[in-house]
Amino acid sequence: IQEDHKLSASELEGKYGTNINKGLSSARAAELLARDGLNSLTPPKATPEIVKFLKQMVGGFSILLWVGAVFSWISSGIQIAQGADSPFDNLYLGVVLALVVILTGIFAYYQEAKSTNIMASFSKMVPQQALVIRDGEKKELPAEQLVIGDIVEIKGGDRIPADIRLIAAQGCKVDNSSLTGESEPQPRSCEFTHDNPLETRNIAFYSTTCVEGTATGVVINTGDRTVIGRIASLASGVGNEKTPIAIEIEHFVYLVAGVAVSIGVLFFIISVSMRYKILDSIIFLIGIIVANVPEGLLATVTVSLSLTAKRMAKKNCLVKNLEAVETLGSTSIICSDKTGTLTQNRMTVAHLWFDNQIYSADTSEDQTTQPFDQSSPTWTALSKIVALCNRAEFRPGQEGIPIMKRVVVGDASETALLKFSEVLLGDVMSIRAQNKKVAEIPFNSTNKFQLSIHETDDANDKCYLLVMKGAPERILERCSTIMINGKEEPLDSEKAEAFQTAYMELGGMGERVLGFCHLYLPENEFPDTYSFDTDAMNFPTSNLCFVGLLSMIDPPRSTVPDAVSKCRSAGIKVIMVTGDHPITAKAIARSVGIISATSETVEDIAKRLNIPVERVNRREATAAVVNGMELKDMSLQELDEILCNHSEIVFARTSPQQKLIIVEGCQRQGAVVAVTGDGVNDSPALKKADIGIAMGIAGSDAAKNAADMVLLDDNFASIVTGVEEGRLIFDNLKKTIAYTLTKNIAELCPFLIYIIASIPLPIGTITILFIDLGTDIIPSVALAYEKAESDIMNRRPRNKQKDRLVNQQLAVYSYLQIGIMQSVGAFVTYFTVYAEQGFLPLTLLGVRVDWENSAINDFEDSYGQQWTKYQRTYLQWTGYTAFFVSITIQQVADLIIRKTRRNSIFQQGLFRNKVIWVGIFSQIGIALILTYGLGHVTALNFTPLR
Amino acid sequence: MARDKEKRSCGQVLAEWRAFLWDPRTRQFLGRTGTSWGLILLFYLVFYGFLAGLFALTMWVMLQSVDPHVPKYQDRLLTPGLMIRPRAEGLDVTFNVSQSHTWLPYVQALHQFLEPYNDSLQAARNAPCVPGRYNEQPDDAVPNYPKRACRFNRSALGACSGLGHAGADWDYGYGSGRPCVLVKVNRVINFFPGRNKSINVICMAKVNYTQPVVAVRFSNASANVEHHIECRLQAEGLRTDDDRDKFAGRVAFRLRINRD
Repeated sequence: IQEDHKLSASELEGKYGTNINKGLSSARAAELLARDGLNSLTPPKATPEIVKFLKQMVGGFSILLWVGAVFSWISSGIQIAQGADSPFDNLYLGVVLALVVILTGIFAYYQEAKSTNIMASFSKMVPQQALVIRDGEKKELPAEQLVIGDIVEIKGGDRIPADIRLIAAQGCKVDNSSLTGESEPQPRSCEFTHDNPLETRNIAFYSTTCVEGTATGVVINTGDRTVIGRIASLASGVGNEKTPIAIEIEHFVYLVAGVAVSIGVLFFIISVSMRYKILDSIIFLIGIIVANVPEGLLATVTVSLSLTAKRMAKKNCLVKNLEAVETLGSTSIICSDKTGTLTQNRMTVAHLWFDNQIYSADTSEDQTTQPFDQSSPTWTALSKIVALCNRAEFRPGQEGIPIMKRVVVGDASETALLKFSEVLLGDVMSIRAQNKKVAEIPFNSTNKFQLSIHETDDANDKCYLLVMKGAPERILERCSTIMINGKEEPLDSEKAEAFQTAYMELGGMGERVLGFCHLYLPENEFPDTYSFDTDAMNFPTSNLCFVGLLSMIDPPRSTVPDAVSKCRSAGIKVIMVTGDHPITAKAIARSVGIISATSETVEDIAKRLNIPVERVNRREATAAVVNGMELKDMSLQELDEILCNHSEIVFARTSPQQKLIIVEGCQRQGAVVAVTGDGVNDSPALKKADIGIAMGIAGSDAAKNAADMVLLDDNFASIVTGVEEGRLIFDNLKKTIAYTLTKNIAELCPFLIYIIASIPLPIGTITILFIDLGTDIIPSVALAYEKAESDIMNRRPRNKQKDRLVNQQLAVYSYLQIGIMQSVGAFVTYFTVYAEQGFLPLTLLGVRVDWENSAINDFEDSYGQQWTKYQRTYLQWTGYTAFFVSITIQQVADLIIRKTRRNSIFQQGLFRNKVIWVGIFSQIGIALILTYGLGHVTALNFTPLR
Repeated sequence: MARDKEKRSCGQVLAEWRAFLWDPRTRQFLGRTGTSWGLILLFYLVFYGFLAGLFALTMWVMLQSVDPHVPKYQDRLLTPGLMIRPRAEGLDVTFNVSQSHTWLPYVQALHQFLEPYNDSLQAARNAPCVPGRYNEQPDDAVPNYPKRACRFNRSALGACSGLGHAGADWDYGYGSGRPCVLVKVNRVINFFPGRNKSINVICMAKVNYTQPVVAVRFSNASANVEHHIECRLQAEGLRTDDDRDKFAGRVAFRLRINRD
């Protein structure tokens, strides 16, 4: 147990050989680094690659296929011992089965390795820096270079780079949730408060985050010797939780393997009791297992998932694990931040009021002109004030960049005004140069206005222009006239009333309103030699002329309203959680559609009916704006009631801790909750949510680490794209599985009928493998490219418990309906091939024993012709080939059926998914090559067809 | 990402299963009510009935397209197979001259095989033919069925006809250690052997040739030795050297005559 927290600063200096002001010397640091190693956690001992590889070899269906292969070899061994004529058939089969397992295993291993690499690269994407004092200088160093005795400085938002004993702190709070699970930030100072080093306030721990304030401290532990390092080495044995999609796939594997084994065993018993030899029965068993197992499916699923992850990354959703893709698809509530996610995160002029009229401005992201009427002389006056009474400036050297994207030095409102006037007037800087500023009073919170005095650009006019902007009511107080259509008119009560109405209206829209006024200083009183003194205010600041109002807002991103309405139709509730003022929050919620145009809050109803809020029936209000203050006093039931009864909810003035409460409330409703967040203190909510979404641009590292997904463009619309992709992959996997399962029946039926009716075997085991791993692979991957169906965003989110990946409907439809139809079709082909060669259907029944007897070389067909064993076997192979081709052709039809689940094929479009056609042509091509190209390779059992 | 796991006790699971099997409240058996089961069974009855009908229809159409007398394709039978009688297990004719039970089954099999070749039956069923010319019976306009094959009298097999009386050749020479083995060509419709030239069966032993059954008599095969005998059809345009089909136009068998 360390005693560092009890030591004084000078004792610490002595213990670690450091100096609180100068830090360690670089040489000493290098020495310590060499002794103690890097300041990073030793990664948990990775599973050896060979174990991972072997796991792939026995996972899923592999074990069934291994059993099949071993049986094949055993029966082949017995046949060799008995001296049968063709003992090698089963040997080949065993080898092929083993090859199938090994190849799919290698493929799965490769895929896994690739996705592990992606995740590894993600964790490297966020390198940690630390501010260290060494050799008396402050340096930014990678955190892993820290050694004990280093003096580090931390500030709000940083991750603590090592275990640190604080020696100075200002309002420092840390989030110890990763260590202790407490989500409440803990204050940190340099006093020793507790005997237990874990409880004392003067130690900050590695990997926790500093939420606010600043602090300086001495590094006392690094790397694995830190508290978290010791815990991590204890906990490294804990494995990852299974992802929902992995659970679904496991469920599916159990289902299919169960069917395969039970049918296999059933027919093993049947064939034994039908007095087949045990050896033959075992061979049947292998055939049934091979026919039932979709060998290529797992590889297909992996490919489909990684295709989706790639596609999502392209759409700015960086998914940290594939689990998130699918969970996102089943999301039923999204709790979204406002600023930056729903909005553009920059102030923009939204409305203007002059000449007694409100004008709206364009607030989209890439405005180049403004549509409102600019012919009034009042506007000319107003625009001049806006351009001149402004301290913000563009950073130089940005001429080529669109105005809206240029970097500005100045606060948010001034930036908005600068850009606004730059768009409307052109080069504001030159306008300011022509109207030289002679005096200025900057904005401050006591007088609430900003004032400047300029020379005018008119060379003949020697009078000065005084311009002023500020809080509208303060500006109005100072005015005695108002400009209407370019003429100054006295400001009577009627005009003041009009101003009040406009001001209220703009304020009610949640916008920040500024008033503008000016005064031309009379030339006789203020000649051009006049010296203005801003402290003495030797110029008039009342009886000015009011010109107009401008209101600004952080406008919604233009893609958001569409995305919100998509969510609405997809049955996803969007809840806004913001720290902003309720009025602003509500205005934005209305403009993006989180509160729809027709719905009202309790307050709206009260206002409309002109009754007190208490008397309104709360059930009538579909929308609710909840203030953080109210939330604080609410019981859990009350919160549940709000979440339950209102479909449109905005939480305003909330703290990050309340976000966690909201998420928990939503989860109590049984919802799958997605939460966005960017700050350090959002991480508990991000972790608690079913899917945490961090902002890629504004997000802190802590948020990114806690999240399951990172939005690279911070845009709410990208979340909706992600939801769509998540639903799409679920749909497409269903399609792929349905497609793959269908042919299993057509592969299984031949064996069953062969055993029961003793006909010549319609399809060989190796031929089946050629379907499963040859012709069908590309088409089933092609289904992953299928476009979304029209209703994908119009149905309710998936219920995790009820809507399984492989459910009864899918199995029944594939197996008992389409599968049986395929079998019937394939059998027609089979009987046709035999009939045209001389064996009419009825003569085939019950011939198995003689047919397969190699001593009978004069086997009679329906026409009395006699066949040698080889001639019959060759005919049997022709039968295999015909059956194979028949299944392949029917799978083409099946592929087209499976393109859609609910849409009609014409709605979905036959040619929208080009990859499907690649699949179809590959299928036919492979079938042609197998049939005509490899017709002479005996082991493959293909013969050319007529 | 947090997920809650529900754990259910064993009893709950059991109760759930029982409710699934028979739910007295909703009167559901395996999750369906009686009406529901009835409807679904009706659906599958109709569906499979329709499929069966479709299958039967296509099979019927297919059979209509098949000629009842000549198969559509015969490309698999270009070279007819060759087979011997008696058909011994593994084509291994082994017997002991002095123990009649070892060869009597062969004799009986040959008797049975040659029954239809009796002269009287041949005269009644088949027509006489001109030797050395194909006996074609073409269907000019009118189908010409049943067709009559050429007569092949059992007596033509001479010593291998098995027509002698006891003590004579009735045992096809098995009793005397000079066994007869019949070699026959597989029947193939529209097969014209040898392009109008007579075909021969070449065996490594003495040949007594007639069509379509050839009797091979091993008059002085050494006893207690295994003989490997291969017979081959020899005719123009007939390949008998197929690696994979050991019976295409040829037959190989073993003969062992044991003497005490």
